[in-house]
Amino acid sequence: MIERLLAVGALAAVLVYLASAWALPLGTAARPGAGFYPLAVGVFGAVTVLAWLGLTLRRPGPGAPGAVIVKDARGRVLATAGLLMGFCLALPWTGYPVAALLFTALLLRGLGAGNIAALSIGLLSALASYYGFGTLLGVPLPRGVLLD
Amino acid sequence: MGPLEGLAYGFAVALQPTNLFACFLGVLIGTIVGILPGIGPVGAMALLLPSTLSLQPATALIMLAGIYYGSMYGGSTTSILVNVPGEASSVVTALDGYQMTRRGRAGAALSVAAVGSFVAGSVGVLGIVLAVSWLADQALRFGPPEYFALALAGLLLLSRLSGGSVIHAFVMVAIGLALGTVGMEPISAVRRFTFGSTQLSQGVELVPVIMGLYGVAEVMLIAESGLRKANIVSVRLRELLPTREEWRRSSWPIARGSVVGFVTGLIPGPASVLATFISYTLERKVSKTPERFGKGAIEGVAGPEAANNGATAGAMVPLLSLGIPFSPATAILLGALVITGIQPGPLLISQRPEVFWGVVASMYLGNFILLVLNLPLVGLFVSVLRLPQHVLATLVLLLCLVGAYSLNNSQLDLWVLVGFGVFGYALRKLAIDPSPLVVALVLGPLMEKSLRQALFMERGNVLALLGRPITLALLLLGVAAIAAPPLIRWWRRSRPPHPALSSTGGEGN
Repeated sequence: MIERLLAVGALAAVLVYLASAWALPLGTAARPGAGFYPLAVGVFGAVTVLAWLGLTLRRPGPGAPGAVIVKDARGRVLATAGLLMGFCLALPWTGYPVAALLFTALLLRGLGAGNIAALSIGLLSALASYYGFGTLLGVPLPRGVLLD
Repeated sequence: MGPLEGLAYGFAVALQPTNLFACFLGVLIGTIVGILPGIGPVGAMALLLPSTLSLQPATALIMLAGIYYGSMYGGSTTSILVNVPGEASSVVTALDGYQMTRRGRAGAALSVAAVGSFVAGSVGVLGIVLAVSWLADQALRFGPPEYFALALAGLLLLSRLSGGSVIHAFVMVAIGLALGTVGMEPISAVRRFTFGSTQLSQGVELVPVIMGLYGVAEVMLIAESGLRKANIVSVRLRELLPTREEWRRSSWPIARGSVVGFVTGLIPGPASVLATFISYTLERKVSKTPERFGKGAIEGVAGPEAANNGATAGAMVPLLSLGIPFSPATAILLGALVITGIQPGPLLISQRPEVFWGVVASMYLGNFILLVLNLPLVGLFVSVLRLPQHVLATLVLLLCLVGAYSLNNSQLDLWVLVGFGVFGYALRKLAIDPSPLVVALVLGPLMEKSLRQALFMERGNVLALLGRPITLALLLLGVAAIAAPPLIRWWRRSRPPHPALSSTGGEGN
């Protein structure tokens, strides 16, 4: 089922890609334009994705062994993905130290660590990485709307 | 500069304190990464790439290469001691290595693995020196059609060898090639597939894609599988010495594994993994007592361990001589070269000898450091496994996030990381190898440039491109890689059964 969904998603993406490539200047065979190569890639992509979709439609069941996420583990996987997205959304507003603290503490808690351990490891790792990347390597990590 | 002179110059570069420290740090990180089932050498190299931006090109490459081959050492340690292969290339080692541990011969297995890796690394350095010098000379005759054909043949070979179905591999190649077209087009500066985003004009960064596909996806798998505790075996220093019989049994497998590994490393695809399987099968075939394999045969450790290190050396050849990477790990090394302003390719040896010879010599030094460091400190390295997995997974994710952001200080790179992390996780669940995507992403721009230049040169005559012998040979090789296996299967099926076999009920009965 996951594979079939991925194949349908890939087909939609390849159609958008082909339409966008078609709108680019194609040029001639002797002087290929900016759209020449993307169009070739798009056609190759469309053929392979259609073959993939055909393969998934012909095959019954979930596909590869282990393709199904165990019920008990779904929460942990979704929490990890959700927290990653949450970090990206929160970073410009809360700044790096707060976003990193929230991310690590909540993820550790979600993966089974105790409250105190999650909070202390979260705090330590947020500060250490802020110091390492922000101060030592000079990366301008966002400080958030409050500190800015 | 001749090979010997070049190697001597390379040692002078690699022995400079900064480079020696970078080599030490690289192999140390590589060992730890190899021990830990999780981030892997590709993820670790991608993670550390931003921190090498301020380093000299040779230093950066020495460190990243150290992570690459150092991880092969680390992976074998956990395979032997706890039956947990840190890397895919160590899976075969676990078959006999762990059986040796159960029989109380863990120390001997570790020693033979380390010596085998060192020998293979040394043979690999020699192979690089000979192969790269020759190939770089040949490559000077390459024009755009040859480069296009080489990249295309590489992708086709990779699709055949990456494991799983060819259709899956082709889909990955198509995604990689399509991603490579995003951004400002190099010839007429037309913006393609940017959807109005200024950040996308620079194209899709390789590093967040790799970090997502390998680092984030692996951590999500760890999160799914829950927490596991390894049963760690302690090894004393005096137990490390193999017996004379064990040395005797290991010497030829090490020699064969070194050569098999190096040659396999030249082929696009999961060279290290492939090399270990080939070496293991070969050793079982040549053995007079194949029934011992899988029950603690030291040849089953010696051969594959030499092979996986030999393969890492072999994989450096196309990168250093042609500037073309055929694996995700060498794609990162190429990325490091490009970021530091170096144009990889056949002129690298003559234009930047300190980089080429420095890296080659550092591989020999790195293998020596690994040999000296790893055996006495094996207990310390294995204790890394005692670190709770949930803490490790969380820290790896945080490093991925901050590492991806620090590349361009861009929020877009973070979203690319997360998007490809989730995508990579789905691919792992479906047993689809993402490496064709990564290699296609790297080779895509080169293929487009070469194809357009080639068509321009031949005034749009595609058939004229096939008139060039190297181009034709490379294209035929690529097509044969895809078409030959199904054709052979079809031919075997269509052959009438052998009368002797058919009368006894057919083969295998």
